[in-house]
Amino acid sequence: MDKILFEQVPELFASVGALFVEKKEELCEMDAKLGDGDLGLTMSKGYAALPDLMRAEAEGAGGDIGKMLMKAGMKMSSLVPSTMGFLMSTGVMEGGKALKGKTELDGAALADYLTGFAFGVQKRGKCEPGQRTIYDAVLPAAQAAKAAVESDPSASLKTVIEAALAAAKDGVEATKDMVPVFGKAAVHAAQCKGVADQGAVAGYYKILGLSNYIINQ
Amino acid sequence: MKKIINAPETYVDDMLKGIYAAHGDQVKYAAGDLRCYCTANKKPGKVAIITGGGSGHLPLFLGYVGDGLIDGCGVGGVFQSPSPEQIYNIAKEVEAGAGVLYLYGNYTGDIMTFDMATDLCDMDDIECKSIVGADDVNSHADPATRRGVAGIYFMFKAAGAKAEQGGDLDAVLAAAQLAKDNTRTVGFALTPCIIPEVGHPNFELKENEMAMGMGIHGEPGVWNGPLKTSREIAEEALDTLLKDMPVAEGEEVALLINGLGATSVEELYILSNDVTQILKAKGIGIYKTVVGEYATSMEMAGASISICKMNEELKGYLDYPVNTPFLCQK
Repeated sequence: MDKILFEQVPELFASVGALFVEKKEELCEMDAKLGDGDLGLTMSKGYAALPDLMRAEAEGAGGDIGKMLMKAGMKMSSLVPSTMGFLMSTGVMEGGKALKGKTELDGAALADYLTGFAFGVQKRGKCEPGQRTIYDAVLPAAQAAKAAVESDPSASLKTVIEAALAAAKDGVEATKDMVPVFGKAAVHAAQCKGVADQGAVAGYYKILGLSNYIINQ
Repeated sequence: MKKIINAPETYVDDMLKGIYAAHGDQVKYAAGDLRCYCTANKKPGKVAIITGGGSGHLPLFLGYVGDGLIDGCGVGGVFQSPSPEQIYNIAKEVEAGAGVLYLYGNYTGDIMTFDMATDLCDMDDIECKSIVGADDVNSHADPATRRGVAGIYFMFKAAGAKAEQGGDLDAVLAAAQLAKDNTRTVGFALTPCIIPEVGHPNFELKENEMAMGMGIHGEPGVWNGPLKTSREIAEEALDTLLKDMPVAEGEEVALLINGLGATSVEELYILSNDVTQILKAKGIGIYKTVVGEYATSMEMAGASISICKMNEELKGYLDYPVNTPFLCQK
């Protein structure tokens, strides 16, 4: 596919929701060891609801993908009012801000969305690269997507998402050697050595969900 | 757990329904959501002040909504943050053409909530500024990391008065900042409280023990040990307060003796007497003393002592009349 139309955007995110429903138990188990155990619930509840939240805002958005994402992201924050829920909904809202006025998504717009999403996570979480968080997956993904567009302004959706996905995967791998700064993980830092950060894994799955839709269409 | 409730899950909403039923002439809710608590007396052209936080602290936070104080309050579950959308809906209701000040306690969940609400208001071009109360001296050495507790009373008073006097958003923020810079609190607990949906106490203290420095959600304090006398508690609290914020001989403070929920007003006045005697002995004047429940932790026993160092500007704010369903000052 060379572009995603306004009315297809909820389907794009439905693919993310479906993946998180599938990965719910796995994420909860990872999180029970080094977090508060509800990561899988937050991700599956939030992203599974997002497509319908988008459809509910579609009319008011009048074809503007950015507006639809911003409004739906706000509604998502009410559904999952936790730290990770706020990080995700801010990411979606900032991703939407980066797409303001866009009526369809091409490779360059996808890179803009991923960049906005990473910016939102950083802004809300006040986190930096290397602190063993979801940011360590979504930032490299955004950077790789942007680089793909910079080297070829007409890069396809597939090219952009593949670059993002590979970088996110490497980012997850890199968290195994990072010293945690936040939350329960910081208290049990020794146990984190060699184990990937569960938040970063969730960030990778988010991008994998987008990728599944783009590749399979 | 012995509580007068119908079901733990309806604790917050049943309480809110009771408040609206009793005080419908003074307060209402926005967006069809009981937890979007707003003044019924909106004043055009005034900076709107919005707070929010978990339930379980009445009269904090919603009790401060009313004339001379603030305009709206996002009501969370017991000890939980309200949602960004709730704050946004309150802002849309109470914003009166002069922008919005968010004034709330320094807790991670609340910060995320209000920061997100600021982003949402941005989309509608509603100007928002934020300030957090962080007066609990024993909660952290770094003032920026401290939790907000009863001392937020002085920030509500200052910001509320300034807003009603016609101050613009920056002036109202500056008034809140002035109160914040001059306010410190030390609290202590004698017994824990029970979150209805949890059903058991949130910490344990032996019969003869107290917890100095404990937070209003049961966050650990600086020591747990044998219960001291009112005089000893007052001495230790004032030592901590005045070490953190020196007050010179001849200067004046306002004093807030706050009960945590299950401590009798009689006991609060015993404590107030001891604090007053010690301050007098140090040559520190007391401009005004306020005794009662201003920030509670449901049925936790204990109290907090706040001092706010006075200047002429703060005295004016403190003397400004207020009228809410929970607080009245002529």
